[in-house]
Amino acid sequence: MMADEREPHSHDHDHDHDNMDADAHALEHIHDHDRQFQPDIEDTPPERYELMTYAIRELLIEKGHVTADEIRQAQETLDSWQPSRGAQIVARAWTDPSYKERLLKDGNEAMADFGVDAGGAKLTVLENTEDVHNVVVCTLCSCYPRAVLGLPPDWYRSKAYRSRVVVEPREVLKEFGTEVEDDVTVRVHDSLADLRYLVIPKRPEGTEDWSEDKLATIVTRDSMVGVVNPKAS
Amino acid sequence: MSQIFQTGDKVRVLEAHPPGHRRTPYYCRGKVGEIERVCGEHRNPEELAYGFDGEPLRRLYRVRFRQADIWGGYDGPENDTVDIDIYEHWLKPAQ
Amino acid sequence: MAEKFTSANEPGRGYHDIGGLDYGPVDPETTEIKPWEKLSIAIGNSMGGQGRKIVNTDMGRRAREGMGEEMYNALDYFERTTESTKITLVEQGLFTEEELEARMKEIESRLAEVRAQ
Repeated sequence: MMADEREPHSHDHDHDHDNMDADAHALEHIHDHDRQFQPDIEDTPPERYELMTYAIRELLIEKGHVTADEIRQAQETLDSWQPSRGAQIVARAWTDPSYKERLLKDGNEAMADFGVDAGGAKLTVLENTEDVHNVVVCTLCSCYPRAVLGLPPDWYRSKAYRSRVVVEPREVLKEFGTEVEDDVTVRVHDSLADLRYLVIPKRPEGTEDWSEDKLATIVTRDSMVGVVNPKAS
Repeated sequence: MSQIFQTGDKVRVLEAHPPGHRRTPYYCRGKVGEIERVCGEHRNPEELAYGFDGEPLRRLYRVRFRQADIWGGYDGPENDTVDIDIYEHWLKPAQ
Repeated sequence: MAEKFTSANEPGRGYHDIGGLDYGPVDPETTEIKPWEKLSIAIGNSMGGQGRKIVNTDMGRRAREGMGEEMYNALDYFERTTESTKITLVEQGLFTEEELEARMKEIESRLAEVRAQ
């Protein structure tokens, strides 16, 4: 890490305005060694919390509590966390029973096959079957298996979902177009500690001869939370 | 000192509402469920939240509750459950 | 028989502790997460690793639960993320609210300069 990243900076103009375009000028002030960071330069003024986020970042770097590189790496790691990873894992579980057993036994160990590193989270895998339908929530905030699904969508973070899925799951599932028969048990999982849950949804009929890659295309993010079932078409 | 639970044990969640950062949700306090699995030992989040090191480690349990036991008026099938990750110090044995 | 939905006015129930309440129908539509919102998450992730005591997930949650019901209800998830990071960092003395507000104004002018061109 560069020594000058740990020193406080002044913002005296030490560059030549005449030879710079507007974006570069704005960026120059962000920090010379920081050129890769680009705040959104939009037509409308940024709102309060967007500004606050940029300001927190700058102050933390200036005061030496974190480096620009560490934040950038965290951004890159976050960008690599996408539901496509979860979909690959589910597709493998569907086609390879021994992999599925490994997943159910120890999610972190099995998911390492796909390069998944969940940090301190204990990835716990739940299987939807003919008898059981699993659905996941975090009623207190919005904990979510980000390493395999990315950031949670609006509905998962919403007070409507967090409040109601624990007490009337079947009604909430209907709002997603999902009907669960009465002879199938619905289990809601409130993930409030270090466990993070991934649902293996039921493999739809008509996919028996599909490749793993083709199967992964129908495993949607929402199906891995348990609010919808994947469809073959 | 909390008791050590095994899968299948019946437990009751403390009916307590201490102020501060807690990870046992209101809706299960005072309710009876069953240990679905033992989830290892972890640093206590209630302490980590205040800058302490969260030690000694606390045992974490997944507790399975029948929906009908949590909510009066649950109108789904009686096998429906809600599973919640709860720390040992929130649990007591139940009959 | 108790009501299916419990009352929000129960003493001891934090305003974030909403399992069992009724906040209406779920809207399944999703919006794209903005770059600054991802940055907000990344800042927390970069500071909350094992061994770091400056910010961790649990402190962030405590700050969400402590920002007050009005703010909690007024802000969306990522705004609350930034607000809770701020609360935690100010509490730790890493910077003051005044420093932060000043820097926000400065960044706002920088970006306004660019937009004006």
